[in-house]
Amino acid sequence: MTKLGLGGITGSRQAFYVVLGLMAVLLFVPQMHNGYLENLFRGILMYGAMSLGWNLIGGYTGYVSFGNVVFFGLGAYTAATLSTHGIRNVGVAIALAVVIAVIFATLFGPPILRLKGHYFAIATLGLALATQEIVSNLDYFGGGTGLTVRQDQFFSLYYYVMWGICLVSLLATYAIARSKLGYALVAIRENEDAAAVLGINATRYKVLAWAISGTMAGAAGAVFAFANGFIDPETAFSVDNNIFPIVMALLGGVGTVAGPVAGALILTAINETLWSHFPKVHTIFFGAVIILVVLFLPRGLLYLFRTRLSPRIFLESLRAYRV
Amino acid sequence: MKLRHLSLPLTLAFVATLLLPIASTPARAAGDTIVFGAAVSLTGRESKEGRLTQEGYDFWKDWINAHGGIKVGGKTYQVAIKYYDDEDNPQTSAKLVEKLISDDKVNFILGPYGSSASFTTAAVVERYKVPMVESNGAAETIFNQGYKYTFAVLAPARRYLEGIVDMATHMQPRAQTLALTSANDAFSQEVAQGTANFANAHGIKIVYQEKYPVTTTDVSTIISAIKAANPDMILNAGHLTDALLVHKGLKEQNVMAKIYGYSVGPDTPDFRDSLGKDANYVIGAAQWSTTAKYKGYPGFITSSAEYTKQFVAKYHHEPDYHNAESTAGCLAFQYAIEKAGSLDPQKVRDALANLDVVTFYGIIKFDSRGLNVFKPMVVNQIQSGKLVTVWPAGVAVAKPEYPAPVWARR
Amino acid sequence: MGLFLQDLVNGILAGGILAVVALGFSLVWGIMNIINLAHGAFIMLGAYITYQLFTSLHVDPFASIPISFAIMFAFGYVIQKYVINNVARAPVLTTFLLTFGLSLLLVNLALMIWSGDARAVTPTYAGSNFSVGPVTIPWAKLATLACALAITALMQLWLARSKLGRAIRATSMDIGAAQLSGVRVAQVYSIVYALGAGLGGAAGSLLSLSYSLNPSMGEPFIIKAFVCCVLGGLGSVEGALVGGLVYGIVESFGSQYIGTGYQDAVALVVLLIVLILRPTGIMGKATA
Repeated sequence: MTKLGLGGITGSRQAFYVVLGLMAVLLFVPQMHNGYLENLFRGILMYGAMSLGWNLIGGYTGYVSFGNVVFFGLGAYTAATLSTHGIRNVGVAIALAVVIAVIFATLFGPPILRLKGHYFAIATLGLALATQEIVSNLDYFGGGTGLTVRQDQFFSLYYYVMWGICLVSLLATYAIARSKLGYALVAIRENEDAAAVLGINATRYKVLAWAISGTMAGAAGAVFAFANGFIDPETAFSVDNNIFPIVMALLGGVGTVAGPVAGALILTAINETLWSHFPKVHTIFFGAVIILVVLFLPRGLLYLFRTRLSPRIFLESLRAYRV
Repeated sequence: MKLRHLSLPLTLAFVATLLLPIASTPARAAGDTIVFGAAVSLTGRESKEGRLTQEGYDFWKDWINAHGGIKVGGKTYQVAIKYYDDEDNPQTSAKLVEKLISDDKVNFILGPYGSSASFTTAAVVERYKVPMVESNGAAETIFNQGYKYTFAVLAPARRYLEGIVDMATHMQPRAQTLALTSANDAFSQEVAQGTANFANAHGIKIVYQEKYPVTTTDVSTIISAIKAANPDMILNAGHLTDALLVHKGLKEQNVMAKIYGYSVGPDTPDFRDSLGKDANYVIGAAQWSTTAKYKGYPGFITSSAEYTKQFVAKYHHEPDYHNAESTAGCLAFQYAIEKAGSLDPQKVRDALANLDVVTFYGIIKFDSRGLNVFKPMVVNQIQSGKLVTVWPAGVAVAKPEYPAPVWARR
Repeated sequence: MGLFLQDLVNGILAGGILAVVALGFSLVWGIMNIINLAHGAFIMLGAYITYQLFTSLHVDPFASIPISFAIMFAFGYVIQKYVINNVARAPVLTTFLLTFGLSLLLVNLALMIWSGDARAVTPTYAGSNFSVGPVTIPWAKLATLACALAITALMQLWLARSKLGRAIRATSMDIGAAQLSGVRVAQVYSIVYALGAGLGGAAGSLLSLSYSLNPSMGEPFIIKAFVCCVLGGLGSVEGALVGGLVYGIVESFGSQYIGTGYQDAVALVVLLIVLILRPTGIMGKATA
């Protein structure tokens, strides 16, 4: 049975330029002076960064992490804890969040990345849940109550910073995809043993990939803490923040550069449209959307723009995987 | 440029524009209506409490509209409330309150259900300088942040179980020891802290104290530890689900105590229905009860009895304190707006800060942080399947049944 | 000492239910190589079926177990045949997201039907207990353990003796050989998934007596099921039973001496220890 590949290394270059153009346009959202819209698009940028991060370990390296939210949560708590101690500078918060993400990945990476497939996925899920639990039991971090974060007078600052994080993540992914690291990761994904034979130090590259993915999520988390004004364990380590980036990467195209950001935009649009038209049943529909995307669009939406459209594409996955 | 090359950017642009109409839903007309915005949990884990909150708000709205509306300066205004369902997600609450203010352009905000949501929405209203009256988020930390635009009509969390401990110290034989359990969330932790302080100050020894996760499904180890500690009083600061879990667990492991008290639970009919006769003798704390004897300021229903009667006629169930405190939140706005004589957010905020009025629900007066520290809690007990107020003496209608007998004899 | 014994007993009682939860999860994982993230939702639905039967038709919770099993079995069969089967051989990401989406859908459907209010199943004998020395044992929990053991024994027997059971075991050992012997793999997969759902439903019914019901009640059990399977050994009934009982005891002592709030942390530590020291689990065979 043919195993569906994850689509090139960088996907389509055109998609990348389009997404860059999208980013340029998004720069002007705060000018519209609509708080709700700013909130919405800041969310897209946030999820874009998180999704790009997940994409690095899940898409390029093939290690499907179901717990990358742990980095997001740690980043959020870093910012919140600093704020409680009087340090309210976004830049400092992001810097520290990045450092903590790297330390965390370096500490837990080696044992956890030794596991593969299902085991790795569940272990990362367990890691996220365990970290949430531990944080919620420590009074220093506000326990179950959470921490408040003082917000800057110039609130749109957080929009612009989030934009910056998303852009950096996007460019970093592009650079990595075309670098030796990128090729090493894909080699690990396709056949880890063969890669080792070729002299690639799998453990080092895996931990590196996970660490970088963590910094993207962590930075996003730090800014989120400021924008939200409040952080508690349930918000910081929420299931939504864990799953959305993954679905977005899938929707846009796993293992591509532009996919995660496009996926973030599209999924948010779907979510908001469902919410505004079907308020009572929107979460049910959302579950259905995930199922449909997984069944019929596993290569992502962007793939449709690279190939000749035909109904056959949507059934490809079913034919390949069914028994 | 080939059409093929344009398809992707066009698609993405189209998708982006899908988001715009959602953002600019038609702003409701100013005209003769004061519009309040509220994001409450109509679905999700706390949807029951969210719906009780909505009932409380709507009861007031319908009553006030039927009785001439609110007088502002020389003009009378009708009232409307715009609701969004925050699905019990504090991040969503904040987002929706921002939408209510910036998009729907409501005049004022009525608070959501729950402390976490209150945290996030307080930050939003502070940014936009729109007053919010909170009826259901009693965590004190919200009010230590220096926010100026958030007010809460309910007694602060730390007072919740004080009444029960106070009562216990007046009973014969006097209760000496206490086991205190709490859910790990803002509200419950504050209740526990306040209870512990009060107990220590009144010579009651805490022999066991433990907190558990909000979503826990199993408390057997806590129950067995309580049993081993053999306390006179068992108090729990949590929510309905865990109150049920703990009480059932206590029965299962045959744990005996003189007083069983819960911060949330006994006042809701669900508690009594689920536990049957095992619910008897259980004590609960409440912001209000249907028998509380306050005489309210004119402009609304003045007595609890009358409120109860009209509420039952409208909603076919007895009001519980969530309903009453939500209505009280609206009353705060009503009196403040009339006193300010204007709909200007700043003037209304100032009027709220200086409010001092007694209602069917009790006194509404805010300290400098916006918290109603002046309102006491009442202590209720389930006696033969009915909830009666037993403490303090001034509002009680029955004497407490103490101590609780063994499980088999309830 | 009394506390220690009580915790031990509590752990065993809880472990019985965990064994049934783990069994359903283990079958699907061991035979179909699918981690069913919707297992929690199946457990929840089983509990609500019992709740509904109890409240509307006054059916005793224990009597409702076979009914809930049957309903969830049918439900699981249909879902596998028309939805899950399409990703039967797909990689981890696909199956995880699909079953997650399914779980989201079912949980929110339940939320819509029954609302988020905590429900309880309280028959008249709820809470009644007897004491053996310093230990108090609730009757309902003891009966639950007995049921759990009975269900496990029945499954073991069925898998070993029946024709379908042998077909299932053959498929788990070698799909190609099984197909050559005339086993219809698609049918086997549907049955296995249905069994997983049915067992999940039965576990939910058992849970309904001890815990409050709410639409999210099944979520925590997925991690627990995973740890029980890894602990006990994947793909065998004894593995699920041993894993469930041992983990129940571990959780009980963990809650008492480390704190009730650390259940997932304990789960993760146990998981990592087992995977590093004895990856095939306590009862597992030394297959790769």
